[in-house]
Amino acid sequence: MSHAFYLWMSYGATAIVLVAEIVLLRMRRAHAMKLVEEEKDLEAQD
Amino acid sequence: MSAAAGSFGAGFAWAFRRDMRIAWRHPGETLLVIAFFIFVASLFPLGIGAEPELLRRIAPGVIWVCAVLAAFLSLPAMFATDYSDGSLEQMALSPHPMPGWVSGKILAHWVASGVPVIALSPLIGLQYGLTPDTLAVLAAALAIGTPVLSLLGAACTALALGARGGGVLLALLALPLFVPVLIFGAGAADAQASGLSPAPHLSLLGAGLIVAAVALPATVCLALRIALD
Amino acid sequence: MNINWYYFASPTTFYRLAGRIAPWAFVLAVITGAAGLYLGLVVAPTDAQQGEVYRVIFIHVPAAWMSMFLYFVMACYGALSLTFNTRLGAMMARSLAPTGAMFTFVSLWTGSFWGRPTWGTYWVWDARLTSELVLLFLYFGFIALANAFEDPRRGDRASALLALIGLVNLPIIYFSVLWWNTLHQGSSVSLRGTSMHVTMLWGMLAMAFSFWMYSVGTAFTRVRAIILERERRTRWVRGLVAGAHS
Repeated sequence: MSHAFYLWMSYGATAIVLVAEIVLLRMRRAHAMKLVEEEKDLEAQD
Repeated sequence: MSAAAGSFGAGFAWAFRRDMRIAWRHPGETLLVIAFFIFVASLFPLGIGAEPELLRRIAPGVIWVCAVLAAFLSLPAMFATDYSDGSLEQMALSPHPMPGWVSGKILAHWVASGVPVIALSPLIGLQYGLTPDTLAVLAAALAIGTPVLSLLGAACTALALGARGGGVLLALLALPLFVPVLIFGAGAADAQASGLSPAPHLSLLGAGLIVAAVALPATVCLALRIALD
Repeated sequence: MNINWYYFASPTTFYRLAGRIAPWAFVLAVITGAAGLYLGLVVAPTDAQQGEVYRVIFIHVPAAWMSMFLYFVMACYGALSLTFNTRLGAMMARSLAPTGAMFTFVSLWTGSFWGRPTWGTYWVWDARLTSELVLLFLYFGFIALANAFEDPRRGDRASALLALIGLVNLPIIYFSVLWWNTLHQGSSVSLRGTSMHVTMLWGMLAMAFSFWMYSVGTAFTRVRAIILERERRTRWVRGLVAGAHS
């Protein structure tokens, strides 16, 4: 295994994990917003 | 009528006697631990092959892993029944200071799960072909380390009382905390077997026991209060 | 001057503050990250013994530092939340955990891929690697425990206490290479000086700062989401969404 392989595996995995975290975070925020809207709709119905 | 002022010692003795009595009347739990310990320790030579040199080398690790698992499996019993039938709340309301009876419970757990392991370890060790001096160090390491396991386990059990995810959650919490004890405990016996001094390992274990005995009962109390609120 | 230290302790005010800081934190992260990568991959010279593969250090060491630092901050927030019974302290602790776990994983992964060509093995059960792995499980345990209860406050307090119990692991990780004869090399960077080439050092420090800013960004963004989830029944939160729609 050339040294390039180990470097790519390291930097590549880090990049993937960072991107994944950002993506999941955006999904979490969107989900939270949705929960707030549902709560608003519930209140509007009362 | 004013409640008699409770004391640490009285609460400790009461809880210890109570839990020991319960364990005595329902020996299933304790016997299960002992049986598990013996069976698993006996399974390894069957699975790996009875090559004496190999067995001698893995013995401290195997015995310690069994000790850890035995401590872990008997953890839920420490608080679960009392929590579900409400007696834990009653105990929390008693005039005895909480660290007292909590320590009594933890000691009872150790007597029911740790002491059998310590007592049986020379037998299992002989089965694996360990020399007497290694057996002695192993028993000493277990004697110092298993109370730490009981203390750490009590904290994890208290934190996870009534949680979703049950046993898996408890494993996730307790086993990482058990790992250093396992490493030093097995390391002590390994050192002795290799001709090195086990003193550093045993000292670290001892220091860990002191810190745990001082800090963890109060931590367990805090965790129980969080659970009972 | 009377400073109201508790001003930002309420989720309402902190929500806006975090919203203003997070983007700048990310911007700083990108800038210093680019600088660090440039220093590390272009400027820093080839290592005499390890060749090019040593450049993993520019990810591995900063990630390891962050894994420990974030756990420490998380435990501090936990202690604050237990002592002062604040909701926000617990929310901040929860926000840090996933990022901390991520950096712990990155540290272990990159360390593993650095170990294979240099030590000959992907893994060894020495003191530092084992305690870093324990740290990863401590993060997982924290996250699991925090989410294991119907009542989020119970989860807040239990996980805060767990974080404090696990704090003892940090000195073990940090001093392990000093206390034991381990395969992992000792520290080459200390407050007194360093033995490494200056561009390597600066590359590492730039990456560490970048990771730190990234963590601030993600933690503040995450806490905003948590605040929305937890406070969704309050008027000010519902007002936020109305504002977004109008």
